[in-house]
Amino acid sequence: MTANDNLAHKVLVADDDIPNRLILQAILENQGFTVLLADDGVQAVEVFCREQPDLVLMDIKMPNMDGYEATQRIKAINADTFVPVIFLTATTDSEGLARCVESGGDDFLTKPYNRVLLRARIDALLRIREVYNTVQQQRNELASHQKRLDRERQLAKRLFTNILETGALDMPFVQSMLSPMSLFSGDILIAAAKPSGGLNVLLGDFTGHGLAAAVGALPVSSVFYGMTAKGYSIAEIVTEINLKLKDILPTDMFLAACLIDINPGSHTLSLWNGGIPKVQIYGEKEQKIIHTIEPRHLPLGIVGEEHFNRRIDVLEMRQGDRIFIHSDGITETANSAGEMFGRERLENIFVDNKDSESLFIDIHTALVNFLAGADQQDDMTLVEIKYDQEQLEKTVQHDSEHGKHAMQSPSAWRLSMELGAELMCHFDPLPLLIKSVCDMQGFRGQRQQLYTVFSELFSNALDHGILNLDSKLKQTADGFAKYYMERESKMENLSEGVITVDITHQPNEDGGLLTISFEDSGEGFDYTTDTLSLESNVGHSGRGIQLLRSLCDDVTFEGRGNIVQATYQWTNK
Amino acid sequence: MPVSSDVSADANTVTIKISGRFDFAVQNEFRDCYYNSSPGEKTEFLIDMSGANYMDSSALGMLLMMREYLGGNTAKISITNCSPDIKNILTVANFQSLFKMS
Repeated sequence: MTANDNLAHKVLVADDDIPNRLILQAILENQGFTVLLADDGVQAVEVFCREQPDLVLMDIKMPNMDGYEATQRIKAINADTFVPVIFLTATTDSEGLARCVESGGDDFLTKPYNRVLLRARIDALLRIREVYNTVQQQRNELASHQKRLDRERQLAKRLFTNILETGALDMPFVQSMLSPMSLFSGDILIAAAKPSGGLNVLLGDFTGHGLAAAVGALPVSSVFYGMTAKGYSIAEIVTEINLKLKDILPTDMFLAACLIDINPGSHTLSLWNGGIPKVQIYGEKEQKIIHTIEPRHLPLGIVGEEHFNRRIDVLEMRQGDRIFIHSDGITETANSAGEMFGRERLENIFVDNKDSESLFIDIHTALVNFLAGADQQDDMTLVEIKYDQEQLEKTVQHDSEHGKHAMQSPSAWRLSMELGAELMCHFDPLPLLIKSVCDMQGFRGQRQQLYTVFSELFSNALDHGILNLDSKLKQTADGFAKYYMERESKMENLSEGVITVDITHQPNEDGGLLTISFEDSGEGFDYTTDTLSLESNVGHSGRGIQLLRSLCDDVTFEGRGNIVQATYQWTNK
Repeated sequence: MPVSSDVSADANTVTIKISGRFDFAVQNEFRDCYYNSSPGEKTEFLIDMSGANYMDSSALGMLLMMREYLGGNTAKISITNCSPDIKNILTVANFQSLFKMS
């Protein structure tokens, strides 16, 4: 440190002895310091506050306030920065020196002063001060960054929570836990009621945790909610999500995901699972796990559309059966001894269970007890959905487009559409069809019924007409599984067949009459003798024809049984 | 060394051996193994997991990066000697459809 550097440094000398003060002033000024003077403790504190010196030389015995007290005050005033105080003392007794340190002194010098020693002590303490202040400044900067970051994260967290929680997870037959290891979860759990009744659920697990993983959840939830509301099937939804994620995610990031569709109309669970641990169904009648569905697919966002596999598993659901889906964080979570919770512990809960109502809470309790306060290493998500026919039928996506499509005054129109085999394999025409019809006429509050009518008519034409599947198969549990396997393989190999849809609308006094006709190129059936089997088509199979009859004013078979015509009177009152 | 690699005498096989934990901490070493191998069209990559006792989803991501770097669908990568736990992680994610597993 040269004399020039010292110009910037202000040193306060507090001493009631005038000759002493003058000697120190002379030495210090000679070395380039700016010197401030005080002749007692009170003045020292005063000058200190006003001038903010870099270092203080403090005599002990002074009138009004002694050096010990003045030092304590100075240190208290300036708790945040480091201003060294050097005591000037005549004594060398250890008790007196100890008091210097106690009151906050950083060093001491004994009189008479040695010029070289004085300089060395001052330089050493100023260096410490510089380091201290730099660290302090960096700490303050960090703290303010941290504060801003925290604020932004809290804000983002609120946004995410709002976006992800508009769903239907609060249904009485759904129980779920989602415990993120950081502020943002890499896991995502969303559910939405379908326009035709029933529920779609998605459980996903992004690679990694925290913000980067959570950002990916936004497009996933918007596609999921948007397409579910429009009535798309989970095969369409999962294809779209994959496409989106493939576009936006970096190569080493992906979303393991399981999508399910619970359909109370057909008593089915449809499931697509890519990279989520096996899904299990606990049978209410059997009081044990009756189905285990392994993940069949790659996670989302890895392969492009041409290699994407949208194959769906279909299972039969019976009243009270419970579906369990969880992320790998559940089985891979480890306690403080590094031991994993593991699949066996989870399976044992199902085996030991006495009351299926308590299964979810039992698993939750077992996890909490196992972790015993240890840090969670992964996001843990678990969901249980109980198949409750009545509740699920009431779970319907309500027409959110009331405002958007004002009721059109009834007018006459006709809409016709022909669906070829190739189209039917890869494309679900229902959402498009419903949208067109509703856009034309509005149909406020009647969209759900119309959705059900169209989907029953379409699946009748496709399953029984084009694919020639026998619904009698569905009367037994084994046949049920066989029915869907056969349906899948026939869909894959479908090369011919046509469904013609014809919709006419005639306005009348109350609103209008819709006449909907589905004609398929299949063999048909003898409806004059076979209606009985259609009427008794209950049990494992869907409600098909009864449901149609209950919603429509009339349902008739024509041609060779390959044409179904339904009339539907709607009112604008 | 948690990750080491070895090139066969005819330069047609690169063996990458993983020991201990296969996760984000070894990302750079793992990437260097195939970055530095200057593979030819015939080069096959063998990932030997015999020493690995843990693998997480970021390691799955690293395998995807490797696959893309080596040509995506034309990459020749095999994964061998997996412990049951590691095999389970790979099969839950259905990685057997992207990598040869033995």
